[in-house]
Amino acid sequence: MPGMLPPYLDPTPWLPLTRTATSADVSRALHAAQPGEVEFATLLSPAAGAQLEALAIRARELTRRHFGQTLTLYIPLYLSDYCSGGCVYCGFAADRPQSRRRLERDEMMREMDALKAMGFEEVLLLTGERTPQADLGYLRDAVAEAAQRFSAVTIEAFPMASEEYRVLAEAGAIGVTIYQETYEPVQYEQMHRWGPKRDYDNRLGAPARVLEGGMRTVGMGTLLGLSDPRFDSLCLYRHAMQLRRRYWQSGVSLSFPRVCPQEGGYSPPFPVDDRTLAQIIFAFRICMPDVPLVLSTREAPDFRDGMAGVGINKMSIASRTTVGGYQGAIESPDGQFHVNDDRDIETFCAMLKGKGLEPVFKNWDKVYRE
Amino acid sequence: MKKFHLGGKDFESRLIMGTGKFSSVEVMIEAIKASGAELVTVALRRFNRERPADDLLGPLTRLGITLVPNTSGARNAAEAVRAAQLGRELSGSPFVKVEIHPNPHHLMPDPIETYEACRELAKDGFIVLPYMPADPVLAKRLEDVGCAAVMPLGSAIGTGQGLSTAEMVKLIIADSGIPVIVDAGLRAPSEAAAAMEMGCSAVLVNSAIAAAGNPPAMAAAFSAAVKAGFSARVAGLMSRCDHAVATSPLTSFLAGA
Repeated sequence: MPGMLPPYLDPTPWLPLTRTATSADVSRALHAAQPGEVEFATLLSPAAGAQLEALAIRARELTRRHFGQTLTLYIPLYLSDYCSGGCVYCGFAADRPQSRRRLERDEMMREMDALKAMGFEEVLLLTGERTPQADLGYLRDAVAEAAQRFSAVTIEAFPMASEEYRVLAEAGAIGVTIYQETYEPVQYEQMHRWGPKRDYDNRLGAPARVLEGGMRTVGMGTLLGLSDPRFDSLCLYRHAMQLRRRYWQSGVSLSFPRVCPQEGGYSPPFPVDDRTLAQIIFAFRICMPDVPLVLSTREAPDFRDGMAGVGINKMSIASRTTVGGYQGAIESPDGQFHVNDDRDIETFCAMLKGKGLEPVFKNWDKVYRE
Repeated sequence: MKKFHLGGKDFESRLIMGTGKFSSVEVMIEAIKASGAELVTVALRRFNRERPADDLLGPLTRLGITLVPNTSGARNAAEAVRAAQLGRELSGSPFVKVEIHPNPHHLMPDPIETYEACRELAKDGFIVLPYMPADPVLAKRLEDVGCAAVMPLGSAIGTGQGLSTAEMVKLIIADSGIPVIVDAGLRAPSEAAAAMEMGCSAVLVNSAIAAAGNPPAMAAAFSAAVKAGFSARVAGLMSRCDHAVATSPLTSFLAGA
């Protein structure tokens, strides 16, 4: 049985607007004082796509207003590629014939020291779905180790109970990223062939449990390409708004991972091209002006350079998606996804400076931990 | 111009600057110099002792201005107190701007936690400057616990909506025994002048300068506006009248008029 999209996320009333909005609707939505679902759906429409430059101008204006002329940087650290999931699109899926490993404590420390030496102050620790090799205890130890070195430690792992999130918050983590992948229940079931990740409802409830567990921020997103991006974006918008209202002392941030077409042998059923991805990001920025919007090195340099400060205010750089990648393990095709922007920090920061953006490494402090 | 007395020190400038959102440290420094600001606030979370290129404390220290570390990022009084203590230790400045905004989206200050943190920090010898909602009662309560000034918001941080709280700020000024500094929300130098004309002792500006086309030039414009507004206040503005005043008064027929 597929999961159920709960009524508070149901985008049905607004979906028609994503097709029928007129150019006059778009002009109104661009400068709405209190944008909501109507404006968001309007900005996802083909009529808005025809005014992409106007959307970009408004997105840049709002990004500058809320985040200034800065771009915050973070680095992912893959702890383990063991996985119990059967995601058809993922390089780490449990049935892929590849050798698996996890970082042991001494390796973990060396990787973290390497990232620290590169200047990073925010680290995102990643694992696959829950396995005996990478479980809560393993993550807790990794968080505690990272918290000794970095100002900000966040996690992207498997859905947990709120008490488990609390354990990680107490170990020093300030945020958790968990993507629904797709909100479309039938599509979700087809994409997640077995394992605990098949449980749509459990995953859907995870962001609320993250905040219930005392984390300061939850990172959300859908994996663009798996389903109708307008449907998924509307659900994501509603989900993020609902969490903001319910957990008013917490923050939400949004990321825009997409399955790049013709990559890793997997062709997504709903490929999202650059213009559509940009339009989605602009729509989120215009309707959620104060929410951090994140773009990873999955995307190519030209696209990232164009989006920096124009909607996007946070990026990773110099990422390795192979376990042990910062200690010289060869970046293999077995990485979770292909890194399309492999520039080093200096080159990337020079690009930002050239665009009048200040790269910010440290935007948090350990003093705010309990 | 009458000096601005705050926390036992005298300042020439009544413009306080924030340091977030600038496109580079160099632009920030140029803007501070152009503003003539002697008091500059900086978020503790932007102190980075380990990477000088990413650090705001070092370059500001070299400017020879008075630093006001702020607790931006704190969600409650306990976090703000810890941040203030670390800020004092690292910067050597007894000033602290208490910023407690639990909602990370609109960044509105929490009145209850702000009050608790200020009470504790004032006892601990800090020169406490609380960023606060424009609430006249809270302003008096903060004065009572020993704050050196109160900093009501003009409008939400970074929004450029101007002095949307003007009526409340006037009430705060009317009752206050300590300096009132409008902090946050200003967009144009004319709004800073209006705040000074109203009777504010100083204004704090950040986004309006950092997001300007030419930040140093905008900093200079704010500096001039603050001076003009303060001079106008001292000079004494004529009172407002909502009807024209006749040149032949109605009472001219009265004896002795």
